[in-house]
Formats: sequence, C-alpha cells, structure tokens
Amino acid sequence: MATTVETTFRERLTRQPGPATKWLGVLLVLVALQFGAVMQTIMSTVPWGTIGGALPATAPWAALAGVGDALADLPTLLARDVIPNQGYQVPGEGWQGTFMGLSPAAAWGIRVSLVYLYSFGFVGWLGYGYLVFRRHYRAADWTPYDDMLGRLDGHRWGQFGLVVVLMFIVMALFAPTLGPTTVQSNIAEPFSHELQYFDENAGEVTTILVGEANLQSVSKGGGGRNVGPMQYDRYDRFHPFGTLPSGKDLFTFMVAGARVSLFIGLLYISLAAGLAVVLALVTAYYKGLADLTVVIAGDSVQALPQLLVLILLSFVLSDTWIAGIYNGGLLLALIFAITGWPYLWRAVRGPALQVSNEEWIDAAKSFGQRPVTTMRKHMLPYVVGYLLIYASLSLGGAIIGVAGLSFLGLGVNPPTPEWGRAVSAGQPYVATASWHISLIPGIMVVIIVTAFNALGDGIRDAVDPQSEAGSNEVAAGGGGA
Amino acid sequence: MTRWRYFARRLVLSIPILIFGTTATFWIIRAGPIDPAAAIIGPDGDQQAYQRIRDQLGLDEPLWQQYIDYMVGMFTGDFGQSWVLNPDTSTIVLLQQYAPRTMWLGFWSVLIALFIGIPLGFYAGLNPNSWSDYVASFGGIVWRAMPNFWLAVILVSLLSQSQQLFGFSWQEWIVNVNVVTAPPLDNLGDPQELLRAIKWTLPAAIVLGSSSMGNEMRIGRTAVLETKNSNYVEAAKARGIPGRSLVWKHVFRNALVPLVPIITGEAFLLIGGSVLVETVFAINGLGYLFFDATINGDLPLVGTLMFVFILLIVIINIVQDLMYTLIDPRVGYEGGDS
Amino acid sequence: MSAEAPLLAVENLRTEFYTDKETVRAVDDVNFRIERGETLGIVGESGSGKSVTARSIMGLVESPGNVLPESSIRLDGEELTEKSESEYRGIRGSEVTMVFQDPLTSLNPVYTVGNQLKETLRLHRDLDGQTLTDTAIGLLEDVGIPDAARRISEYPHEFSGGMQQRAVIALALACDPELLICDEPTTALDVTIQAQILELLAEIQVERDIGIMFITHDMGVIAEVADRVAVMYAGEIVESAPVRSLYSDPAHPYTNGLLDSIPGNQPGGRELTTIEGEVPIPNGAATHCRFAPRCPKAFEECYELAPEPLPTTAGKDDHTAACLLFPEDMKREDAVDEHRAANTEGTDE
Ligand code: SF4
Repeated sequence: MATTVETTFRERLTRQPGPATKWLGVLLVLVALQFGAVMQTIMSTVPWGTIGGALPATAPWAALAGVGDALADLPTLLARDVIPNQGYQVPGEGWQGTFMGLSPAAAWGIRVSLVYLYSFGFVGWLGYGYLVFRRHYRAADWTPYDDMLGRLDGHRWGQFGLVVVLMFIVMALFAPTLGPTTVQSNIAEPFSHELQYFDENAGEVTTILVGEANLQSVSKGGGGRNVGPMQYDRYDRFHPFGTLPSGKDLFTFMVAGARVSLFIGLLYISLAAGLAVVLALVTAYYKGLADLTVVIAGDSVQALPQLLVLILLSFVLSDTWIAGIYNGGLLLALIFAITGWPYLWRAVRGPALQVSNEEWIDAAKSFGQRPVTTMRKHMLPYVVGYLLIYASLSLGGAIIGVAGLSFLGLGVNPPTPEWGRAVSAGQPYVATASWHISLIPGIMVVIIVTAFNALGDGIRDAVDPQSEAGSNEVAAGGGGA
Repeated sequence: MTRWRYFARRLVLSIPILIFGTTATFWIIRAGPIDPAAAIIGPDGDQQAYQRIRDQLGLDEPLWQQYIDYMVGMFTGDFGQSWVLNPDTSTIVLLQQYAPRTMWLGFWSVLIALFIGIPLGFYAGLNPNSWSDYVASFGGIVWRAMPNFWLAVILVSLLSQSQQLFGFSWQEWIVNVNVVTAPPLDNLGDPQELLRAIKWTLPAAIVLGSSSMGNEMRIGRTAVLETKNSNYVEAAKARGIPGRSLVWKHVFRNALVPLVPIITGEAFLLIGGSVLVETVFAINGLGYLFFDATINGDLPLVGTLMFVFILLIVIINIVQDLMYTLIDPRVGYEGGDS
Repeated sequence: MSAEAPLLAVENLRTEFYTDKETVRAVDDVNFRIERGETLGIVGESGSGKSVTARSIMGLVESPGNVLPESSIRLDGEELTEKSESEYRGIRGSEVTMVFQDPLTSLNPVYTVGNQLKETLRLHRDLDGQTLTDTAIGLLEDVGIPDAARRISEYPHEFSGGMQQRAVIALALACDPELLICDEPTTALDVTIQAQILELLAEIQVERDIGIMFITHDMGVIAEVADRVAVMYAGEIVESAPVRSLYSDPAHPYTNGLLDSIPGNQPGGRELTTIEGEVPIPNGAATHCRFAPRCPKAFEECYELAPEPLPTTAGKDDHTAACLLFPEDMKREDAVDEHRAANTEGTDE
C-alpha cells in the first residue's frame, strides 16, 4: 500500500470517506446520549463577567483557577439528577425520590457503572479513531510509533496500569457525579443543606440539616458509632466506603480528593516536564558550559531533601495569596515542580545527549537550520517517550507526597478533601470497627501508585525495549512520604 | 587514572551544591513572609519587646548582610541559638539531643532494607519465574507504592492492639517495650537493654526502610537477571567457569552497580521519611524536631537542620561516587556518567 | 577415544524454542563433521540458525530452548547430548570453547583482563603463583598483544576493539580446547583488524591442531578461513562443500544469491544484488522448500516437497545441496523423485 504520490490528508479523506464517517457517527451517538447535559454545561459556563471583574491584581490566576473550576465542572455529563440516589424509605411504600424507586445503593451503582461504561466507550472511540486514521488516512504505511504500540499489545502489566490509571482519571473527572452525595452539601457546608428522611418515632417524613445528620452517622469505633463500607446510616443515606469520624461520606471525600491529587500531579508534571525538556534539549545542543551549569543546578536542587522543602515551603507560604488558589493546590504543584524537575531532567538528558550526537543533527546545523527548529523537529520526538516513563512514575510519587503533607496538616487547605487527611482522621480507629477510614484511602494510594508505576514500566518497554529499570526511579517515589 | 580524576571532579562539584542548598534555605526562611520576631514573642507581645527582639536578632540589617552572616555562620560551625522551641539553647545542643534516636532508627532501617531487599532481589533474579521470584517481585512493587505514613499508622495500631486482634502481645513478646515513643538509648552496652532498643525501633525501621527495600528487591532482581543473560556471563560459561564462581564473581559484582544509587538513595528517603515516621511513632528525633521547628517558625533551628541534612546528602553523594569508582572501573571513562 | 572418530560429528541436530504462541524450530536436522586442524565455515543470514547450532554444541541452549532427543553431538566420539549440566561444564572450556561476536561485551567489564585470564587458567591448567602470571602474559603475547606484562592489569574498556578480540581469543586458548567455535568474531571490527584476527586464528590452528567452527554471514570472510563450508538457511544446511568447490561451482540458488551479494563479486559490473525478503521462521518439520518464496528458480514441486541434501552431481559426495534442481546431471523429474525417495527414508527413521 505504499503511496508513491504525496497526498494531503484532506485528499485522502475525500477519496475514502467511509471509515471516517462511521467514526464520526459513533461520536454523534456518544454526544446525543449526553446532549442535555452538554447544553446545560455550556449554558452555565456563560456568565464570565463575574469571574473577570472579581480580582484585578490576581486576575490571571483567578481566571486560571476559574477556568480550572469550570473545566472541572464540565464533565458532569451523566448528571446526578438523571439517576438520583438520595431518598428515604417509607415503610410499606418503598423508596421515595430515588431512581425508579430503587434502593439508593442500586441507583448509585447504576450511575457509577454508567459513568464508567460511558468513559470507556469514549476511550474506545478515541482508540478506534486512531486505528481508522492509521489504516485509511495516514500517509506513511509505518512509523516507529506502530512498533511501540505493538509492544504494548502483549504487555499485560502495562495494560493493567493503563486501565487503573484511566479509572482513576475518570474518578477525578466525574467526581461530582460519582459520589453518593456532593462535596458542597455533605462536606463543605453541611449546615446550609437539608435532607429529608422518614422519622419512625414521629411516623412522618422529617427535614433535618445535613450537618445534624452527619453528627448521628459518625464512625468512631464500635458501639453503634460506626457506619462501615456499603452500609446505610439512620437517615437512609448510603455510604459505599462508610463515613468519616465526622460523619461525612468517605466515598464523596475520596472522589473529590482524587480530583485534587490529580490536578496537583498533572500540573506539577506539566511544569516540571516542560522545564526538564527545555533544559535537556538546550544543554544537549550546546553542551559545554550550559550543560555544566544545569548539572550543578540540578544536583543542588536534588541535594535539598524534597519532602522537607515541601513541608517548609508549604508552611512558610501558607498565609500568602498563592496558597489560596485552588485550596493550596497550585502552590503545592509549584513547589513540587521546583523541587522535582531535576529527576525528569536526568531521565531525558541521556537520550537528548545521545540524539544530539547523531549525524542528522550536525547536518541540520550545517544547513543553517535554526537551533530551536532542530531541537523541536529532530530531538524532541526522540526524548518524549523517555519523559513519559518518568512522568508516570513521578505522578505516583506526587500522589504519595501530597497525601503525606496533608496527613501532617499541611498543603491542601481543609475542608477540601485530600486522601492523607482521611488517613490522619482514621488513625485512632484503625484497629476498631471503623478501620475503613484509614485503610481504604491507603489501599487506594497503593493501587493507584502501583498503576502509575506499571504504566511507566509499560511505556519504558514500549519506547526502549532494551533498557532496564533505572536508578532514577527511587527519587521519583515521593521523597520518603 | 581517569576514574580518580572523575572522583575528584565530583568532589569539587559538591562545593557549589552545598553553597546553593544553604543559600536556598536562607532565602526560604528569611526572605519569606514569616516574621521571626512575631513568632518569638507570640501574638500578644508589645511593640517595644518586638522591636527589641528585631534589634537583637539583627533583623533590620540589610538582607545581604544577614545572608553573609548566615553563610559564614553555617560554614564555620556557628549555628546560632534556637529562638522559639528552646530559647537561648544552642542548636548544636538540640541536635546532639535529638540526633541519636534518628541515627539509631536510620541505622536499623538501612540494615533491614539492605539485608532483606538485596538478597531477596538477587535470589529472585537467579530463579526467575519461581515462587520466590513472584513473592519478591510483587512485594517489591507493593512496598514501593505504600506510603510510609500510612504503613506506620496501620502498623502502630495493629501492634498496640495485637493482644485483642491476634491474641499475641507484641509489647510483651521477648522483652517488654512500647509500640510508640523512642527507646532509651543510654545503656546499649547491656544486652537486655540493647535487645529492648532494637525491638522498640524495629517497626519504625521497617516502615522507614520499606520503599528502599522494595526498590532494592526490584532493581536487584532485574540487575541479576540482566547480568545473568549478559554476553560475558555466557562467555564465562563457554570457558567452563563453574556455577558458583559464575554467580559470585561474575554476576553479583556487576549487579551491584545499578544498586549503588538505590542504596545511597535510601538516605533521601530516610531524611524525608523520618518526619512522618517519627511523628506517627512519637519518636522525638531530628525529623520530628524539624517539623516542630517549622510549624513554630523557629528559623535558626530550621536553617541548621536543613544545613545538616544537605551536608549529609552531599556526603552521601560523595560516598556513592566513591562506591561507583571502586566497583565499576568504567566510571569516568569516555565522559562516563556525570 | 577412537582415532577414527572425527573431532566433532553432529547428526540430526534439532533445536526448538517455545514461545507463548508457537514452537520455533531454529535448527532442523543439521548434519556435519569437523576434523582436527580443519575449519568449517557456516554461513547464513541472521536468523538462519547458525548461532543456535553453535550454542547447541556448547550446551548453552537454555529454556525456553531445547535440543530434541533424537539429536546427536559427538565430540571425540563422546556423546554430548546425554551429558548432565555439571558434566557438560567439564567439557565446556577444556574441550570446546567459543569466541563471541562482540569482544567488549564478552569480557566482564569490572575485572582486569589478567584477572579473567588467570581465572580460566587456574581452572583448566591448575597453575598458581608466578607461573600463573607468566602463563597469562605468555598467552597475551601469543595472540599478539604488545606490552603484555603491563596490559594484563588493564580493564577491557581500556583495550581497543581489535585488542579486545585478541584478549578474548587468549581467554579461549587459556582453556586449551580441541574445538574452537567462533561466532562472527570479526563482524564488530573494521576491515584491517578483521584481517589480522583471521590471520591470528589461522596461526593458532596450525600451531595447536584444533578444529574451528567459524560462523559468519560474510561470504568474503568464509573464503579466507574455511576449508569446508556449510550454508544454512532457515535452520537447515542447504549446501555443503569444500570451499573451492563452493566458490567455483555454487549449486543452491540461495548460495548463488549470497555470492552475488558480495561487493565486487558481480560479473560484468552487475549491480549488487541482495536477496529479497526475509528468512522465514520455521515452526515445524519442513513440508516444502523453505527458500521457495525467495527463490528465483522455484517451480511447482518446490512448494510441495522438502528437498533433501543430495550430491550436486552423481558421485560427488562432498558437495551436497538441498534443492530439487540437483543432482544436476539428472532430469528434473528424476531429481525430484530422488528427493522424494530420500524424504520418505528420512521420515522412516
Ligand atoms: S528447491 Fe526449488 S525453491 Fe528450493 S532452492 Fe531449489 S529451486 Fe529454489
């Protein structure tokens, strides 16, 4: 199928529109399923004026945070109110207010399954799109990336990592939909929200403040003061992971915490990776003094114990304006990036140096190609794979690090959910009936960090099958948290 | 000899690193928004006392002046006095008080990680796809992903309630010890006391060494596996070198090379991890002191501790380079690894 | 040890590798012998099974590989395939040893050359002290390493590529073997050094009267070193002949293809031909000629019948080819029948 004549993508598309149309058709179905929600989201995002006028000095940051929040709110596709799971049981009449009169657990289960089905359908659609492109529309019959993907094909360990990481990302994206209740009503402002339940003593449906109800559904060891995983509390609220010692819903707390962790992790990785790549390319291109300077700078940063700097900086800066943005998440991501870039830089320096010694780089230089162009076109593609390996490993480390800080009461400001805080809250109850408070977040961290490590291993084997597990990984592990 | 030249170069490079680290610390604690004078007198001090303290500490001098004083102080061993936690106590005295417990803890955690992690990893590498391999690989993966603080929390709870949970009392087993708080270390000459101190430290040491142990298992396993399949081992086999010297001479020493940074990397994990582990196990060591000093704004103490930690890391880096230089003759050859 | 027996006799050698998906027959029914003082060259592209043949003889085939039980490898009349691993270890080194392609990676980087040399000498010759050192230095001198007394305490990476390969050969000689297997020993070296190493090997052979099995993909190198040549393709020996006969009178179409791909070997300034396609991966007994998809002379029967090694012309027993076109003095149908007959004979065994 070697195409001898160069054709543009558009020409190839018009010549054979079938597969692409089919692919777009699937998209239509996917969107149609969620059309109401999409529209609603667009509508609710419109009033931008309030955000713009609020804070002139910190406007860019506020806008950034605003966009972040808006983006975070965007994928509430499978809306909570389509499949409500909050209701009450009236004896003889069954469940009121839940989806089709099902039990809250069942309604919640359906919603969670739908979210995951939809998400994996979407991911599948993306993958299918790539395959369609590759088979029908790509100019080249073969690129090195095909081999890399081929190597991932039989890599069960990497695939496990990918699936779990995707599940984690879906959890973070769809956090508001997944929780049996919302952060706003259950965790942040429980005393400004109400709920209805069937009061057996009074024999009627009664209204109570969520905060009051929480006080009656605490998990503080045994003796009737515990709501464990997959249990209902006395207000007919379903708690998939049980409740916190404060009576708040642990699952809602966890999914919201996932979003915070992921936001910090991704922001950190993007910043650090950007810096690392630029430095690696520049030093590999110019070598000499530039290289030495960055080596010293990198070594110096690495000589600072990362976790201690994190503790120190998040304490020192805790009262400044920057710590207020995204509940301290931005600050954490920045500190992580400043202290963490050398690990990523080390990972790509070797490959960058290697590629810079290739003849085609010299050739490009002698043609008078601009350095930036050479770096971007010839060196960057080679380095990116290596970057991904360590990005994946470092993300796991960042999740542990953030959890460790919030365990100490630093970092993400309460009451914003963060997994480490749940571990800390459950600390006194580990060996009691309320074991779930510390145990579940910890196990989640282990699973997700393992998944990120597995994904990193998978990418490594795909990118560079000959390489071995590197020493650099240690450092990527969260600095001892 | 190129490899000693390489080592000398690394030695020289560590000086700017030390200076940079100390400088960074200074700027974080002095140029940041924390007002040490306010931290010292607390929320209800009067204006005069406040000003007196500022004068006393030289806080109104220009920042560069303070910087030079600080750097000179650090590098000449004049670490100053604690301001908040233990006013008017030399930070050195505090260090001397707190360091032994951390060192004791660190010693055991390194020991456990080394003597369990590496042998298990090597064993797994020699017997791939066996049960021991699966145990070591899986263990390595999970240990690595487990947050220290969480593991500490779980272990403390399980051990303190071992009687109720498992019908076996950890506290009373062999010698009577607490699960939390630091062991008394002043009488280690007495075998009974030594045993107590070891048993006391063990749980915290296991937690602190856990991720290193996982790393050592994993890297040890792959290193042995790679070396075992390397050409020179096959070539040695083709010369009829018997199995035992094949493993001990040709596999292990080469497999140690990638382990060097893992072993020294443990130091980083120890320093960072000590804060959390000491907090959970209520051991008043350096990590705990650092945390306490930080949240109380005791800047000279924080600065000194940071300096000591950075110094430690730089020294460990030098040790690492020394180990490389001794184990791997290729170091520094043709540019080598810098 | 019978005086009659050849140094090495390989019969029916079959080696398989098991992967998740399939069984790969890397070596399929290979037969050859090597006499003392003789060099057998084995040529073929990568993937033709030459290296696996060598490793099978060395007993270095590890799981998931397996030398099938019907195979026979006799060294000095002694059957090797029945040896246990520890018995094999006694044979490796002392009777047969191997020189690998990449000299740098076949030396342990963390020990000096002298260390590795002495280790081997101690093992096989039971020397120690000053004699040990002297013998080691002597060996390095024998293989033409100048200033041996000093270089003995250097590390492999401090040697140049050619010197490294000399050191590797010295290591092989330290074993004092009867048979030396060289697996592409000069491929990683540049041309002048390559010539020096070949010369060295020739000298050693004359001096010590050893058998050499020389594996390469390079027809040019084979012409210089070998006495006899076996051409391997997809796990089989497709042609076997004395070196002169092979070059003057190549029979198998594959051999012709290989000869045509030597630069400067094309009659009348023809362009360098390379054989199109890749070596197939055999996963079982052959049902047809494995070269057929790439063969310019292939005809119908080639896809139905697996050719057997038969003399290229009747009576010329030292030049055989596994190709349905041969024996060439027969009519095509008769030749094909001949192969068919040989084939059934083979399966009856
Ligand atoms: S048997 Fe047929 S296909 Fe095979 S080499 Fe001979 S002519 Fe070619």
